[in-house]
Amino acid sequence: MSSTTREERDGCPEGEVSSEHQLVVDGLTLSFGGIRVLDNVGFYVNRGEIFSIIGPNGAGKTSIFNCLSGHYVPQKGSMVFEERELLHLSPSKRAALGMARTFQNIELFRNMTVLDNIMLGRHRFLKSGVFSGGYFWGKTIREEIDNRLEAERIIDFLEIESIRKKTVGELPYGLQKRVELGRALAMAPKILLLDEPAAGMNLEETEDIVRFILDINEEFGTTIVLIEHDLRVVMDISSRIICIDFGEKIAEGLPEEIQSDAKVIEAYFGEEMRS
Amino acid sequence: MENDTLPKLLRTSARRFGNKIALREKDLGIWQNITWQDYFERSKYFGLGLLRLGFQKKDKVSILSENNPEWLYGDLGTQAVGGIVVGIYPTNVASQVEYIMSHSQSKFVVVGDQEQTDKVLEVRDNLPELKKIIVIDMKGLRKYRTSLIISFDEVMELGKELDKREPGLFEKLVDETVPDDVALMVYTSGTTGKPKGAMISHRNAIASAKNFLAATPLKENDSIVSYLPLCHVAERSFSVFYPLVVGGITVNFAESINTVQENIREIAPTVFFAVPRIWEKMQSSHVMRMRDATWLKRVVDRWCLKKERYIWEKEAKREKISLFLRFLKFFCHVIHAYPLQKHFGLNKVIYAYAGGAPTPPEVFIFFWSLGIPIRNLYGSTECTGICSVHQGDDIRLGTTGPLAPGVELKIAPDGELIFKTEGVFQGYYRDPEATAKAIKDGWYYSGDVGELTEDGHLKITDRKKDIIITSGGKNISPQEIENEFKASPYIKDAVVIGDGRKYLTALILIEYDNVGKWAEDKHIAYTTFKDLSQKPEVFELVSEITKEVNKKFARVETIKKFTILDKELDQDDDELTATQKVRRKIVEEKYKTLIDKMYR
Repeated sequence: MSSTTREERDGCPEGEVSSEHQLVVDGLTLSFGGIRVLDNVGFYVNRGEIFSIIGPNGAGKTSIFNCLSGHYVPQKGSMVFEERELLHLSPSKRAALGMARTFQNIELFRNMTVLDNIMLGRHRFLKSGVFSGGYFWGKTIREEIDNRLEAERIIDFLEIESIRKKTVGELPYGLQKRVELGRALAMAPKILLLDEPAAGMNLEETEDIVRFILDINEEFGTTIVLIEHDLRVVMDISSRIICIDFGEKIAEGLPEEIQSDAKVIEAYFGEEMRS
Repeated sequence: MENDTLPKLLRTSARRFGNKIALREKDLGIWQNITWQDYFERSKYFGLGLLRLGFQKKDKVSILSENNPEWLYGDLGTQAVGGIVVGIYPTNVASQVEYIMSHSQSKFVVVGDQEQTDKVLEVRDNLPELKKIIVIDMKGLRKYRTSLIISFDEVMELGKELDKREPGLFEKLVDETVPDDVALMVYTSGTTGKPKGAMISHRNAIASAKNFLAATPLKENDSIVSYLPLCHVAERSFSVFYPLVVGGITVNFAESINTVQENIREIAPTVFFAVPRIWEKMQSSHVMRMRDATWLKRVVDRWCLKKERYIWEKEAKREKISLFLRFLKFFCHVIHAYPLQKHFGLNKVIYAYAGGAPTPPEVFIFFWSLGIPIRNLYGSTECTGICSVHQGDDIRLGTTGPLAPGVELKIAPDGELIFKTEGVFQGYYRDPEATAKAIKDGWYYSGDVGELTEDGHLKITDRKKDIIITSGGKNISPQEIENEFKASPYIKDAVVIGDGRKYLTALILIEYDNVGKWAEDKHIAYTTFKDLSQKPEVFELVSEITKEVNKKFARVETIKKFTILDKELDQDDDELTATQKVRRKIVEEKYKTLIDKMYR
């Protein structure tokens, strides 16, 4: 991102971010046998903001996502999304509420095309029955057309027209990540959980993906929860940050506050570095 | 009603063709049609919208965008209300954008997207005259809270309102355009110094188009793919001037820069213009593809190419083709040439052109053998395009064809080509000195050296200032030697050095993809461009190529030593012009130590 961009952004009021808590997590506790992965973690996410979760390796960040999306069932705690308790909902129900995520290690269908992968993201919008689907007839055709249009909008948005018909497995890593983002977007989420979107990317790819994250947030007003190791990215785009260490929340605040927080510095650099 | 300006031509076309397709753009994966009537109306609304924003006659409007229909609406809309359009290469960096915008005193700029907007915003403090930035694709810009930015659609809306209030206004403005008004300025990339703004009038544009069309008559239903930068006079001619003057030609816009090749295949245009670099790339892509192909395919490809070439050479010499050869030609066409034409998307091409730089003969022959008729053309910004082009079936290797009708030529004693046509431009904007040097008594001094062959073909030797005079006093054209190098799929660029020196040397830039593939086949491990370029095996490879090249030239013209550059030449480093030509002087200065080493 050029310096101008930031300058232009800074001058403006954050219009779309409301103080309404879209997601409230409280007292989240998760253990595997004797290992306590998350210990009484709580935070809230405002509608329309970019909220980041940071912390050292193995701190439990991805576990929070897995609890939110329904892969793990926490022993204790509550997760309220738009005034509905998620705890006992199946992953598909949570998706239907407007939650989508990407994965740290790409989880695409490697042998399918980019377009098919993105179309799959539209699955929850398909309503037609077995008969019309089996014969590709009536309602199915209309649905196919509508969903293809949505998929094409996303392809256009993410600037991946040239790989539309390519098999995902043959694409470079950075592009696969972008396709995964596309699939998540296809679900038209209200909240998007991004697990290390910039991991393993070079500087240029990182800049690209950050630009897309900002654009998604701006264009669609999607709330974004971000796990990221690249602290420059996090500090640059987040409105609020929490830091997790050994399954506990050790800090919460604005990027500037987190940057100077003694506990965060200790978690990242160890005790000695502080002197 | 006379059709003596470009906006008037657009109006006439809209009346004549109405609902016929003028432009096509691939959007969301589907080709969208834009009729002549739409084309005219959108240009009209844009032009009127400009008026609402405080535009005054003779104001300059810069356009900084990839090719898309809005580029053309902006172009013709501006001209219709009496403005002058300045195209800027989308690849230019912020400082270059600043130079062109401030030199041209642009009041408005039409930009494609966020990336281009950021460039303008970066330098806006140095552009006090700038009134509005008009953005085509607003994605990512909604949070920019500067009153400078307005979307292209909003401008059109403003224009629409004005049109409702004053219905006759636009017609009147179009009527007021006169042929001698400057319609556009083209900033020449210039291999030396700062770019200069060549002013081109409506008369220039239309006259030059008519000259070209007299030489190679395009037809009403032809189709063209617009993909080279529109700020260059060549693409502007093919995308704007010719379709307007002929009327009824369809211009197609690719979906994105990365999909051009695929989109060309979908469209299968009947008219196709490319710079030699692109023709070279197509050929080398074929060569590389064959390297990966099965044994049988390779044999068939080689055999067919040989036969096709043999037959084409016979035809070119106007020799009689026996019945057997005719059958053979048909056979090769079916199993080889036609599938390849389809692969390139050129199976329907009637007129294909190469211009902007000399075409390597090998490339030229390759495409002719396949039945893709490339015509070389020569022209310059200052002549508003065309000077000479291969016409009819009068094709000659290594020439740029006879002069186009309406073009006169004188050759100065030192070989410089001097042209006179109605297309000769109005001068450089705010640079009377350079203008006086370029135009004398209506003749344009091109700075190119060349000659007319006996049968009237123009043969360009080189740029006057690029001619190398060795310390032995021999005049050598570096371009001819460089082209032989470039014909190899492994070499992207070569810069021949030797002015005032004892012998010739060359800086070589390898084609990363192809050499990379070659290295993989040979199990040579490499990490980066730098690493690959300095491998001893790659040096061997280039040595072999150099030997082959040297065979084609006299002894004094042979390359004695060469150095492989360990980095790509880059426009951002000023080493290339926006049209990807090497800035010889800058490269020579930059790599002086490398060059001096070769003369030790």
